Amino acid sequence: MKLKDLRETLRDFWGEFRKVRYGMVGLVMFGLFLLIVILEPVLIPFPETGRRWRDITYWEDNPKNAAPVWVNWFTRKDYTPQAVLDKPEISERKAANTQMVEAVFTYNYKYDLPPIDLLLRATGKGLLNLAVHLERPDGLSIELTKKSIRLSGEAPVRLSLDKEASGAVGDFLKTYEDPDVLRGVSIFTVKPVEVFFARAEPGILRNPVPLKGEYRIKLTCVAVGSGAFLKEPALTVAGRVFGLMGTDASKRDIWSGVIAGTKWALLIGLLTSAVAVIIGVFYGVTSAYFGGAVDLVMMRIYEVFQSIPLLPVMIVVSAVFKPSIWTMILMMCAFFWVGSVRTVRSMGLQIKEEIYVEAAHALGASRGRIIFKHMLPQVIPYAFASMALQVPVSIVYEASVSLLGLGDATIVTWGQILHDAMQGGAVLQGIWWWIIPPGLFIALMGMTFAFVGFAMDTILNPKLRTR
Amino acid sequence: MEKLAIKNIKLHYFTSKGVIRALDGVSFDLRAGETLGVVGESGCGKTTLGTALLNMPTPPGRIVAGEILFDGLDILKLNEDELRKQIRWEKIAMVFQGAMNCLTPVYTIRKQMMETILTHRKMTKQEAEERIIKYLNLVGLSADVLRRYPHELSGGMKQRIVIATALFLEPQVVICDEPTTALDVVVQAQIINLLKQLKEQLKLSFIFITHDLATEAEVADRIMVMYAGKVVEIGTNEQIYGPQRAAHPYTQLLMAATPRLRQKVDQLAFIPGTPPDLLAPPAGCRFHLRCPQVMERCRQEEPPLVEVEPAHTVACWRCGHE
Amino acid sequence: MSEVIFEVKNLQKWFPVKRSLGQLLRGQRTWVRAVDGVSFQIKKGEIFGLIGESGCGKTTTGKLIMKLMDPTGGQMLYRGQDVTHLSPEALQAYKREVQMIFQDPYASMNPRFRIREVLTEPLVIHRLGGNEQEKLALAADALTKVKLTPPSDFLDRFSHMLSGGQRQRVATARTLILSPRFIVADEPVSMVDLSTRAELLHMMKEIQQDLDLTYLYITHDLSTARYFTDRIAVMYLGRIVEMGPAGELIDHPLHPYTRALIAAVPEPVPGRVNVIKEIPIKGEIPSAAQIPAGCRFHPRCLFATDECRNLPEPELVQAEPEHLVACRRYKEL
Repeated sequence: MKLKDLRETLRDFWGEFRKVRYGMVGLVMFGLFLLIVILEPVLIPFPETGRRWRDITYWEDNPKNAAPVWVNWFTRKDYTPQAVLDKPEISERKAANTQMVEAVFTYNYKYDLPPIDLLLRATGKGLLNLAVHLERPDGLSIELTKKSIRLSGEAPVRLSLDKEASGAVGDFLKTYEDPDVLRGVSIFTVKPVEVFFARAEPGILRNPVPLKGEYRIKLTCVAVGSGAFLKEPALTVAGRVFGLMGTDASKRDIWSGVIAGTKWALLIGLLTSAVAVIIGVFYGVTSAYFGGAVDLVMMRIYEVFQSIPLLPVMIVVSAVFKPSIWTMILMMCAFFWVGSVRTVRSMGLQIKEEIYVEAAHALGASRGRIIFKHMLPQVIPYAFASMALQVPVSIVYEASVSLLGLGDATIVTWGQILHDAMQGGAVLQGIWWWIIPPGLFIALMGMTFAFVGFAMDTILNPKLRTR
Repeated sequence: MEKLAIKNIKLHYFTSKGVIRALDGVSFDLRAGETLGVVGESGCGKTTLGTALLNMPTPPGRIVAGEILFDGLDILKLNEDELRKQIRWEKIAMVFQGAMNCLTPVYTIRKQMMETILTHRKMTKQEAEERIIKYLNLVGLSADVLRRYPHELSGGMKQRIVIATALFLEPQVVICDEPTTALDVVVQAQIINLLKQLKEQLKLSFIFITHDLATEAEVADRIMVMYAGKVVEIGTNEQIYGPQRAAHPYTQLLMAATPRLRQKVDQLAFIPGTPPDLLAPPAGCRFHLRCPQVMERCRQEEPPLVEVEPAHTVACWRCGHE
Repeated sequence: MSEVIFEVKNLQKWFPVKRSLGQLLRGQRTWVRAVDGVSFQIKKGEIFGLIGESGCGKTTTGKLIMKLMDPTGGQMLYRGQDVTHLSPEALQAYKREVQMIFQDPYASMNPRFRIREVLTEPLVIHRLGGNEQEKLALAADALTKVKLTPPSDFLDRFSHMLSGGQRQRVATARTLILSPRFIVADEPVSMVDLSTRAELLHMMKEIQQDLDLTYLYITHDLSTARYFTDRIAVMYLGRIVEMGPAGELIDHPLHPYTRALIAAVPEPVPGRVNVIKEIPIKGEIPSAAQIPAGCRFHPRCLFATDECRNLPEPELVQAEPEHLVACRRYKEL
């Protein structure tokens, strides 16, 4: 019976809710946020984003401060996007104590501004003699580097061709560029990869013309010694534009950060605001209902909490204890409840004087009944609205604490990304893709709850209802 | 002499749920120096009528048809500016329902009255004050109230101030919407006496809107009974309250429902049901669903207002249609 | 008929006025004497009218009887038992038997409640009426009593979907659901349209007779009081100035205040227009914080003498059987 009633009430509520258009917009947005949380592993290219956000080695292959790939749609000259070539043609030959591996990567270059770097990665063991050749579309073949590495155990191998090929680039330039130009240039300032992706003609250094077409990068490795080997070679073309939302100054993928931050934003926002508003509403209504001395004492306690600035307290707490998202949520709950108390109390004072409350008294209703059945339901719409407004505040507070380096280092949040952007001078450098995505997501999440809150208000407040 | 002639006025509220025909073809006239009483239940269009006469319908209301002739001039044809300069408050003033509760609590009476008069008239503060005092005396208040704040005054005094404010600009027609409803009986009687005196002294014409037939009997020379946005009966005080009784069944029932103090009534009448929804008023006579004397014709055709005797018009198929 | 169901003896309710700093320092304390020594008896099965202008203390008296506030002084007896101060258990029992109908039926019902919740609330509060189904049956029954039929049409509505008359019927039904003996009705019809007012009063009277109820009818409207009540008490500034059978009191008023009230009431009869009505009263009602010494009506009375001003306040005396008046000079007038 009870369950059936509840179901009916909910069905009624839903029937009303779907008629409120902005409420539905809010709900759809909330659904999208939930979907993002659920589909996070599929959506982000860096699966360990959450755990290794602050681990610079995890991000080292990415370009620094790269704009999103889609800026190419708006620019005259196309930037090379990041690309990972992990399926080379591999030919292997084995002899006693030696293994010879040859991996050929084919890269189709069709952009105007060359990549920043070419990064070779592999796993190997023992003495590895490596050689890298570049075959250009114009038929030129260049030996980029030759190197021997000795690895005692199985270990990763990483070659930045931008660094390794500085010798090769000197020879290449001497062949094609005007000697007069070369004389005035220090070879250390030349970026080899930029040179190799340009037409071999005078002016290659000053005014390079991109040479588009198929490049082949050939890695040859002779692993000497018993058990020596090289496997899983992969080539990363470090681009000038990266992913859906670019990268930050620490080479991190902002898209992955924002998506991985969604669940934390939802958690911080919803949990904090829900707990804080529930406490605040109860506190305000109770204070209003009892009035007199109880009200006086409760309001003084409220004022004490109101006048303690949360930020310093959170900083101290985060400094004393191990900074964790949970202590932060706890602290915010302990202080944010004051936000709704004043309004709820004044609403409560008003409702207390309503004749239907007097009528309930006349019927002999208990205090609990009057508070729970007559007073609280009236402030619920307001509670939802203030909850919606509390969500972004909580997110920003978390960010503020992170700003001082006292955020939870084990996770990534929108606030932290935003804070890093401020720290990294994103505004001054015009790195808009570092600021807008986390900012926009914070705004969208605030909007989601505002829409849902207002829609609930129109439904739960029967005076606004017409039927 | 007709001061005001209202011809077939229609005021509709255009709401999201549909068109509410709050006034649906109301015609009457107001003679110079008379008080016309407008009675009806809540929601019959009484207050709407008051706003229509000033041509300031409350949104989403709009006057969609009709004429309001003030001394022969159709005020519905005037633009907002002309209306304000020539008619509103200048010629036709209104005492709104509950206006006495709308005095600003933070200003003195002087300041509030002064502001009203100075926005309409170019005069020095000295002249304005003199005029204010003149009208305060006229409504039976001393100049002493000028320095008071509204909360220091009783309901009756506030209502007198509201009436004095309406009279400042020397209008010829004053519309009073339930001017005595929130007041105690004694004060109510005093205000009614005051209105009678003012009518006499200033040769005013009043439109007195109320739901209370008993009060109306005290003030109105002629009574207009409204039901669901229509006029059902207009007659003189004698014709409505006199021994021959009102003609329309609705008026008769209202009269029988009014409790009387000075005689013991065993059983008061009542009208079953509720007034119709003006979004979709019933066909035929609008009262037919609640009328004890309903005939087949009442359900089909709407009865026109016809004169059953001099100065007495009724909209009922049972009156004047034999 | 003659059994007294409710008796009030010298009931007082004083509210403190906020003091200014000066008064605080001088230790002065002023009171608004809203109810200032009211005594009356209500007999079982009668309708007792308490009449007066706004601020005369009639509503406060009603609230005191409903135990919505505590009296400053005096005594209240319900069926012979002192109910001035009650233990929580006794209070619950008292509230089962004494119910109130409020002036504004819309405001007296929680706008978020459906009619079923409004009606079952008293049962929930007093843990009566069995399970949900039985409670609902009782609610439907109460709706039938107040002629809102069929009840199923109303149970699921909100109060704002009803007309004024229907709302007041629901409010009446709510008071009936606990089968009370005594009902305080505070201006129950003043917010209802004239056309349905009589219907509502008629219904209330019918229920009263069917269920053997007693009403305390509080109003400012003498005309409905005459129609509806058996006895009337007229209050002025916190005190009863005259009390007697309804017809008798209105046809032969003794107290000058009652006379003024009656003279002021308009009547739907012809020939009154353009006639200035004599109202035998002067001035304005004083504040209940400054009640005049002597007879409290003397500043407004046209017949006041030095005696009225200087001698102590006149008590209610029997002028005729059943007809009491608190005036020194009623015989001369």
